[in-house]
Amino acid sequence: MAIFRNDDTPMIDRYRWWEIVLIYLGIFAFLFFLLSPFIEGFLVSLKPLSQLFSSPYTFWPENGSFAAYTNLWKTVPGFARYIFNSFLISTIATSIVLLLVVPASYAFARFHFRGMGLVLAAFLAVSMFSGAVLLIPLFRLMRTLGLLNTYWAMIVPGAAFLIPSAIWLLRTYMMRIPAELNEAAYMDGASQFYTFRRVILPIAMPGIIVVAIVTFIGAYSQQFIFALTFNSKTEYMPLPIGLYAFFGKQDVVWNELMAASFVGILPALVLIFFLQRYLVGGLTAGAVKQ
Amino acid sequence: MGQLTLKNIVKRFGAIEVVKSVSLEVADGEFMVFVGPSGCGKSTLLRMIAGLEHTSGGDIVIDGRRVNDLPPVKRGIAMVFQSYALYPHMSVYENIAFPLRVERAPEATIREKVEAAAKILHLDQRLEQKPGMLSGGQRQRVAIGRAIVRDPEIFLFDEPLSNLDAALRADMRIELTRLHKQLGATMIYVTHDQVEAMTMADRIVVLNAGYIAQVGAPLELYHKPRNTFVAGFIGNPRMNMLPVTGIEVTAAGVEVDFQGQRLLIPVAGHKALAGAPLTLGIRPEHVGIGRGEANMTITPNVVEQLGAQTIGYAPLPGREETFCFVLPGSQSTADDQPVEVSFRAADCHLFDAEGQALERMGQFD
Repeated sequence: MAIFRNDDTPMIDRYRWWEIVLIYLGIFAFLFFLLSPFIEGFLVSLKPLSQLFSSPYTFWPENGSFAAYTNLWKTVPGFARYIFNSFLISTIATSIVLLLVVPASYAFARFHFRGMGLVLAAFLAVSMFSGAVLLIPLFRLMRTLGLLNTYWAMIVPGAAFLIPSAIWLLRTYMMRIPAELNEAAYMDGASQFYTFRRVILPIAMPGIIVVAIVTFIGAYSQQFIFALTFNSKTEYMPLPIGLYAFFGKQDVVWNELMAASFVGILPALVLIFFLQRYLVGGLTAGAVKQ
Repeated sequence: MGQLTLKNIVKRFGAIEVVKSVSLEVADGEFMVFVGPSGCGKSTLLRMIAGLEHTSGGDIVIDGRRVNDLPPVKRGIAMVFQSYALYPHMSVYENIAFPLRVERAPEATIREKVEAAAKILHLDQRLEQKPGMLSGGQRQRVAIGRAIVRDPEIFLFDEPLSNLDAALRADMRIELTRLHKQLGATMIYVTHDQVEAMTMADRIVVLNAGYIAQVGAPLELYHKPRNTFVAGFIGNPRMNMLPVTGIEVTAAGVEVDFQGQRLLIPVAGHKALAGAPLTLGIRPEHVGIGRGEANMTITPNVVEQLGAQTIGYAPLPGREETFCFVLPGSQSTADDQPVEVSFRAADCHLFDAEGQALERMGQFD
């Protein structure tokens, strides 16, 4: 879309100067609203601790430095481990979800069977409950299974709560794959499984990657509540709990806490940016005449 | 061998009967076209032969073997879909090779067969491309290639050309006819386009609301339609239908009263037709300007000049349909001016009150 006027711009894309100003003001207001916590967090991470409690409060850091980013590793020696734990838990949870959800959503998209609507509705109902509501029964379940204070205590409920929405998401994507492709493969003698593996899976890849990203982010962000309740071993702590280590007995090391938050998000961000490159649209182009 | 017999095929979806007791013999090597309006059951019938739909009743027999419960591969059938149904993530080569890969054929055989098919279909230069980079006609050829490599006894085509533009459709029609001659396999072809049916078919099956209205060679359907449905469906523009009254039946034909004129139409009749209301059918291309055996004065309100032909449409007093006539392109007529037209009694078709044709006498070849 060409914002600025020139002779090549189609009429539908031409704006008056004040329209452009309003559009940019709107974009700026939105972005500021969304990003201000992050901006403030980043600024705090640059300030020396003493400046944080100065009055009047200054937003802009005076003689700011990245010292907090190096000091945090000394203040909390296990921090790298917490990041690793978070990553490990999210990765395993995402793998489990994908392993179960990909065939399940294909079945929900292609086959019609008795009770299908009921099961799908049940999935939707389950995802209405947050994990917090079910903490006590889940705790008893974990204890019975002997999973308390292991990685599995965070992985299993994490994966379970992510499956319903993942199925709904991927099912919608799979339903857009033309049924003629299944029929053509069937005419050519391919079995259901062969068709699934050789035809459906490659075409559904962009959808699977979207589900993988959404699930990974979900697993990364919802660890807190399960980790807090089902795990008390320091070495299994994921990042959100690990951040509590910066809350000292006397005071909170705010600048290092903020720095640690950013460092903790970084690996997930890098991974998502990497995966995003595979989100090629229009992979079904040329399959059938639309 | 690719001999196909349908015995009293019935298909019901719930309470709705879509195909109603269809029986048909298709000879080995024949090019058979199923034609009919939307919803007449032609695609459903094809999908039952393919094995994509199960029959509600009746038998499908291929080369003397009942195949109702066999999967498509075991029936020796390949199908080309209207939407091409190509695998978008595979190259043209892999698309054509797909049925052979399923069979786990050796690599050398696959290469040989795919290259042979690509040669027939002029796809040699495209083997490494993805379907998304091909034009509609090329995609359809890839779909045909995927059917060829399996050497099926019977090819099924489900409206394969209806997604192509007019010029490409004409080219592909010729190419399919050539392919049929080259392969010598039985082909069953579904279309709603009567030009495709007339040009390609050895025999045409006209379907109407789940029944077979008539089976026959293209020109047989044109010259001797068995009922008003086939008469109206085959031929473009449609046959004109005019009400007449029977007067007398003789060995030479049936004499009718057409707008006060006595016309002797050479069809086989029976005595009961005297005094009965009948329908006279005359094709637009058999109507000419000037006086002749049967005369009418009409006022065309639309005249289309196509260069090769001039087509006129005139409203008929007290009737919904218009009267259509086709003149040579050199002749023209002004719209909204009364004009006298005529036609020969020998060109007329005659239908009884039930819409069944009285058989025309004479040779039409």
